[in-house]
Amino acid sequence: MKGRVLQKSLFLCVLLLCCCLSVSFAQKQTVRLNYWTFMEVNKPYWEGRAEEYSKANPNVRIELSATNYPYEEMHEKLLMATVSGSGAPELCDVEIGKFGFFLRGEIPFYDLTDVVNKYKEKLLDIRLKAYEYKGKAYGFDYHIGAGLTYYNTDLFTKNGLRVDSIKTWDDFISAGKKITKDTNGDGKSDIWMTDVETNDLHIIKLLAMQRGGGVYNGKGEIILASQANIDAIKFLQDLVFKHQIARIAPGGQHFDASYFPWVNEGNIAAIVMPQWYMGVMMSNMPDLNGKVAVRPLPRVVPGGKRSGMSGGTATVITKSINPKHLDIAKDFLAFGKLTREAQILIWTRMGYDPYRMDVYDLPELKKPLPYFNNEPVAQMIKELWRSNDIPNDNMGPYYPEVLEQLRERIPYRAFQKREDPATILKDALKEVEEKIE
Amino acid sequence: MAKKSKITPYVFLLPFLLLFVIFRFWPLVSSFLLSLQKLKGIGAEEFIGLENYRNLFKDLRFTFTLQITSYFTGGSLILLAIIPLLLANVLFLNRARLRNVYRAVIFLPGLVSLVVVGTVFRLILADQNGLLNKALGLLGVQPIPWLMAAELTVPSLIIIALWRWTGMNIVYFTSGLSSISPEVYEAARIDGAAGFSLFRFITLPLMKPIIIFVVTIGIIGGYQVFVEPYVLYSAGRTPGDSGLTTVLYIYRLAFRNFDMGYASAVGIVLALIIFLVSIVQFQFTGFFRKRQ
Repeated sequence: MKGRVLQKSLFLCVLLLCCCLSVSFAQKQTVRLNYWTFMEVNKPYWEGRAEEYSKANPNVRIELSATNYPYEEMHEKLLMATVSGSGAPELCDVEIGKFGFFLRGEIPFYDLTDVVNKYKEKLLDIRLKAYEYKGKAYGFDYHIGAGLTYYNTDLFTKNGLRVDSIKTWDDFISAGKKITKDTNGDGKSDIWMTDVETNDLHIIKLLAMQRGGGVYNGKGEIILASQANIDAIKFLQDLVFKHQIARIAPGGQHFDASYFPWVNEGNIAAIVMPQWYMGVMMSNMPDLNGKVAVRPLPRVVPGGKRSGMSGGTATVITKSINPKHLDIAKDFLAFGKLTREAQILIWTRMGYDPYRMDVYDLPELKKPLPYFNNEPVAQMIKELWRSNDIPNDNMGPYYPEVLEQLRERIPYRAFQKREDPATILKDALKEVEEKIE
Repeated sequence: MAKKSKITPYVFLLPFLLLFVIFRFWPLVSSFLLSLQKLKGIGAEEFIGLENYRNLFKDLRFTFTLQITSYFTGGSLILLAIIPLLLANVLFLNRARLRNVYRAVIFLPGLVSLVVVGTVFRLILADQNGLLNKALGLLGVQPIPWLMAAELTVPSLIIIALWRWTGMNIVYFTSGLSSISPEVYEAARIDGAAGFSLFRFITLPLMKPIIIFVVTIGIIGGYQVFVEPYVLYSAGRTPGDSGLTTVLYIYRLAFRNFDMGYASAVGIVLALIIFLVSIVQFQFTGFFRKRQ
């Protein structure tokens, strides 16, 4: 008799426990989100933020399924998914050079203006404007993308030079003539001062912006064939053909599989790339740990700009999301990118230069980075911004078409075919204008 | 009963017809209808009639892609017709030892995914630290910029095509050789034929149908080449567009420039070109001549 009472009591307790657990789970809303990106380092970042968001919000649990694709393939998949109306992820990174394509016709992304407005005052406007269309914000960036020079300190030391002696491009050329040399006696240089890409646009764009050129001016006009752009290409051609201190990057670009080991082996003294290349170096060039000094671009003229802006990635919410989850997704996006904490983590976890400038005064952004000569690189970026050394990368409706020219046609003709820069840019502009309606 | 026997064949044909209409005929019609439109953006189509076709005939880049594609097709076809035929002859007719092993080894590349092939060849052909240049370096040859020089783009693609399709073509030619009766060779030998004259007067004429078949699929495959330049060169960005084949151009128009209407027009015109080239090839080889 007693045994039966005990059994029944135990059964009731277990039943009660199960009910309580199921009630508590039922109160926590699970939001499943698919996320696509093309930058390897972004995937673990968002996975981590999803867990942290779930902990910070007891009533919501975000289950994030993140996938990293190659750059072109990801954008093509997204385009096809949005056109066909199925298969698009709820959240997606869209690179600045591709964003404009999605703003033609029916925009497949949700308006995020309400989210942006909460944090706008603290953030750099230029990085928000890049993803606006007709007054509405459809995404927001990770970073500034300041143009920098990455110096191999070993090569400088071996040649009795100091990285900080380079203030102008003339200093750069003088140092280049000492560093560039033939080490194996075959009559061809093996160690180079720098390189140029024939399959990508960054060095051309950064040097052009430094001279007042770029893609669009502040009035919304395309300035592809401007004198500043012509001068930038001419200068780079001189580095390659006249001073012979620059070569074409192995593989034609700074992301090629053959490029990383070549740099890792110490064959190049200076790489000009945007700030977000720091993470790429750390992941792919382990032998350069502690031997890379990051500096602004050398000046063109005394008092001239020491940087530019290149690259950028917005994270968007596509219209494939369940509308019931939209507000949570917006909040999660802000949690990952716009809040003060997020802007700090964008630096500490992904190595991107944040565009909320007050975070640069915090201890996290004052820490020296062992890989980069044990120096507080973020402080240099802060100094560049405060001294107005980073020109704006202005947007316009045909930004993707111009970038396509800068990436695929212009550098090849400039550095492989050695054609006249004015002619190259004039032809490129003509091709862009043919697409303008 | 008679009515039933008239309907029965169509009932058996129905599954095939349905599949054909859904997966072959309708996409063709749909593509043609798309070629009459301009897509300004997602969900923003405009009917423009034959304007895409008019623009196509003025498009110098399209003409350029046809030249590149024809260069690739012609170059690979010559090698992929001659070398496999000779190898098949050596392996089959001369009863080479371990010929089945050789056949299997030569055929293996045809089974490998093109994405893997492109990725591996990118490492083999890299100018810095590439396997091929390292091997050539042992012979004292300076590194060759296989993937950086525009003039080497199509030869690099032909090398991949040769590596990949030689085995497949050997299989086709071997099946053709096995269908030739040995008595024909016996009779020719009795008449004094030997060596190359056997190949020229017996093997080649009797292999004609297989050769025409291999050439035809070579032409179709050559003009449709896309994956090789796409994977060998990061997302198809060849030096100075020197490897911009017509299908790669269609892909770029459709999925990068979002000009799907124009891309469809290029696709339709390419299909017509392949059809015409094949017809000319059949005519040239006497395929349409009545056999006596």
